[in-house]
Amino acid sequence: MLKKLILLLLFPLLFSCSAKKDLFVLLEDPDGGVGKIVVKTKGGEQAVTKANFYTVVTDETAPPEEAGKMEDEEIKSVFGDAIDALPLKPVSYILYFKSDTIKLKRKSYNLLPEIIDTINKRKSTDTSVVGHADRAGSEKYNYALSKKRAESVANLLIKKGVDPDILEITSHGEENPLVPTKDNVHEPKNRRVEITVR
Amino acid sequence: MKSFFTPFILFLISSFLFPHLSFSDNSFVGSIKTIKGECMVITKETTRTAVAGERLLTGDILKTGPNGAMGVIFRDDTMLSLGPGSDLEIDEFVFSPSEGKLSMVTKMMKGTASYLSGKIVKLNPEGARMETPLATIGIRGTHFLVKVD
Repeated sequence: MLKKLILLLLFPLLFSCSAKKDLFVLLEDPDGGVGKIVVKTKGGEQAVTKANFYTVVTDETAPPEEAGKMEDEEIKSVFGDAIDALPLKPVSYILYFKSDTIKLKRKSYNLLPEIIDTINKRKSTDTSVVGHADRAGSEKYNYALSKKRAESVANLLIKKGVDPDILEITSHGEENPLVPTKDNVHEPKNRRVEITVR
Repeated sequence: MKSFFTPFILFLISSFLFPHLSFSDNSFVGSIKTIKGECMVITKETTRTAVAGERLLTGDILKTGPNGAMGVIFRDDTMLSLGPGSDLEIDEFVFSPSEGKLSMVTKMMKGTASYLSGKIVKLNPEGARMETPLATIGIRGTHFLVKVD
């Protein structure tokens, strides 16, 4: 009788404990690599570094549970709807210029119809046109040139019918290179305009 | 007379030397790409039905109904999608590589999410985190899932 009573009293307590639960699962990247997440609570932290491994937090004052593996089927049943709602990956195009000008190289110019087609197919409302510079010469000069290049490409797109409101024109200067180099190194691949259709 | 003009001249010189200080556009953080079922965007002022293509701002809360799901692409190419019955707040989003400003904070309040990190994490591995009711996740890349009961 007493045992039953204790169980009855404990039951809702158990229930309330299991009500709060945060679950974190690391997956393989689309390119086949595996990244890393670090889950932190007030009680400690737990890194997850292997694909399909997970960690659980049920108490914010305790450290997260050590990472265990989750089966594909369970991942699908719990997260299937979220995974299915992931958008198509953004598409990027890299355009190159004749040296020290804002004139596109022919091959790059010929990409414009394809870019416009992608913008239309995806009904993009966020397409960025970003000028990039290499680390040769003055940072300010490079920044200004790469910004002018981005603007001239955006103007070409607008002339060919792209809605100006969907374009975001910026310059990342030297800070986001395709090929990382030391300062003052010529790297033509970094002198580019990158169009990303989202 | 000379001293009167000095500040103007200094301003002209500085805006010539540091042109990037005068333009940094962070007006929107991304756009909604996929919608299924009932989905809402809650801002400080209003609650509206989410529409594919619409742009999102810092502070917006994304909410999916019991049969809803939606997917967003942020301006740094981070992709985030929510399963049914989910609430997520876009707490902070700064993507300005030329100024070295790269950070992103999201708050997952309930439901399920799939997250694929973008350029912010690539350029600043400490730059992105997600907060849940019980924990904080440092996102070093790239693809992970969250469920908050």
